[in-house]
Amino acid sequence: MKTAVYTMLALAIASLGSGCVNLERSRDIGNPNVSGRTLALQVCSSCHGVDGNSTSPAFPKLAGQQEAYLIAQLKFFRGHNRIDPAGSEYMWGITRKLTDEQIEGLARYFSQQKDAPNVAGDPATVAAGKAIFENGIPDKGVAACAGCHGAMGMGKDTFPRLAGQHANYMMKQLHILSETNQRPAGAMMKPLVHGLTSADLVAVTTYLQGVSPN
Amino acid sequence: MITKSVWRHVLKIQDVLPTLLALVLLGMWSFPSYALPAFARQTGQNCLACHAGGQFPELTPYGRLFKLTGYTMGARSMPLSVMAVLDYTRVRNPKDSTGVKDTVDFHKQGTAIFDVGSVFLAGKITDNLGLFAQATYANYDHQQDNGDWVGHLSPDNTEFRYADRFISPGSDLIVGAFANNNPSMQDVWNSAPAWSYPYVGPTFALGAPASPLLDGGLGQDSVGAGVYAYWNRSLYGELALYKTANGPFGFLHPGDNSGIARIKDGAPYWRLAYTKAFGPHDLMIGTSGLVAEIHENNDVNQPTDRYRDYGLDAQYQYILDPHTVTAHISYIHENVKWGDPLALGYDNASDTLKELKIKGAYVYNATYGASLAYQQTTGSTDAGFFGGPADITGNLSGSPDTTAWIPEVFWTPVQYLRIGAQYWHYTKFSGNSSNYDGFGRSASDNDTLFVYVWGAY
Repeated sequence: MKTAVYTMLALAIASLGSGCVNLERSRDIGNPNVSGRTLALQVCSSCHGVDGNSTSPAFPKLAGQQEAYLIAQLKFFRGHNRIDPAGSEYMWGITRKLTDEQIEGLARYFSQQKDAPNVAGDPATVAAGKAIFENGIPDKGVAACAGCHGAMGMGKDTFPRLAGQHANYMMKQLHILSETNQRPAGAMMKPLVHGLTSADLVAVTTYLQGVSPN
Repeated sequence: MITKSVWRHVLKIQDVLPTLLALVLLGMWSFPSYALPAFARQTGQNCLACHAGGQFPELTPYGRLFKLTGYTMGARSMPLSVMAVLDYTRVRNPKDSTGVKDTVDFHKQGTAIFDVGSVFLAGKITDNLGLFAQATYANYDHQQDNGDWVGHLSPDNTEFRYADRFISPGSDLIVGAFANNNPSMQDVWNSAPAWSYPYVGPTFALGAPASPLLDGGLGQDSVGAGVYAYWNRSLYGELALYKTANGPFGFLHPGDNSGIARIKDGAPYWRLAYTKAFGPHDLMIGTSGLVAEIHENNDVNQPTDRYRDYGLDAQYQYILDPHTVTAHISYIHENVKWGDPLALGYDNASDTLKELKIKGAYVYNATYGASLAYQQTTGSTDAGFFGGPADITGNLSGSPDTTAWIPEVFWTPVQYLRIGAQYWHYTKFSGNSSNYDGFGRSASDNDTLFVYVWGAY
């Protein structure tokens, strides 16, 4: 027993003596020398999945997401420019010390991961959602989502990929975008979402969750 | 299940409202609103990132990984935290069979008190090493000869943890080692004893007459070290060995060593668990065990009692804003073979004890919560062990059988403060629902209303 405890203490002292740093497998978000990739694996993976395919819809999938979008969002979190509750509660702190280089590394890592197919919705809802996504609702002045997010919802630059994303997460973001000013960079979404009913939102997000272009 | 008289008792809460209000105000005043405990400062995240629905100490899947990776996620920051519990306890019948108020067992009956406070030194030390050290001040720690209660600051749960994580797409292996002073303190599921329900409870009330060694029996009496591995967030295994926390480890044990459990050789503790996450659901099924030989009367020159404790437990969580649903179940079977039952005055050569704990909780928006728990203790009858009749604390039947229902409501107005009320309703106590003590006391006489304000900074 004493040996075991002393071994622990020896390990502690040894790791202190070695400068406390294990760059390859560090979870230190305050060390600028830890690569974005390492932080993605050691820290971000805990919620977003090791390959960016989060299991829980509480956390967005990042696999195959647009690199520019990820960089922009991480900088928004770091700069407190995205103030939706989940964003501030989970992301402000964890990004607070990230360097631009680390953010770019994180974004690169997740954007290069392969998206895993998500749960498909019922065909009628999917069909309704697909129609709105591709054509909009001209009578209500709702533009086609595909116009900015791409025909298959893959996104482009700072327009996020939506294909395969958790429907629950997208629903929450659509409410935030339409009812609050908590995501200023998404202000252009506000008038677009206003024209959609709750059923429309469910349809679009259900459709997008099941899209798997890979 | 809840009788009319119980309701009458619950309704007495109106008597305590002014006191409760004072507690709330005191709680608000004591903890500034920008406050965050040490781990939250380290990750920079809200408490609810690691605690399910914000109901500390229940861990979320992320909170479990934070602990399993040695408290090392985040950036080093101020590693100090404080915690305090202000509470109010009212036992349904605080009088003995002659109508005289029992001021020992039910001291502070119907009075709001500062109960306990803790100081924590906790957080990341290096990339692989972390610490969770708690010292607790119990305001009513023990009685002096003249009957006065005195407060005392004592070591509480304390753990060093070393962990490494080998992770790449398709493979995730967390390995680690720990040293602590409470078997199961290292556990990350709240169905394991050290962090199981109730998370806070009355100081001056009666509880089940016996509980298994595995359920806190060696807490702060032992020091142990163990190793663990968690593979692909699916299979978890752990092996540890505990010894008496004396000699150089005496600092991990409260007070002097006169009352410390003397463990012969080492007591092995093991834990296996299978976990599965699907969507917002997270499930764990596990088993654990502790085998210990403990000298009778804490005297190394006396024979040893052999404890064999085996546990089965499970946890379910659904966490998806704004809803949090959690459920825990734990069953522990204990067999004790007494070294010298004759000298101890026990009836049996060996006794068994079985403890079942079930709890379900719902929290809305990490703010409003309610839970219902059921706790049942059963086991062999041993009049010698349980001491026979005695007013209030006696045991006429010689049986440990005790059953309690515990409804609770709580409110978390801000993440560092929880205000709650729980009610312990006993349908059976020490083997009987009525006259359990041989002096006419009913199990429900021990029903207890407990109101608390619990804050951390």
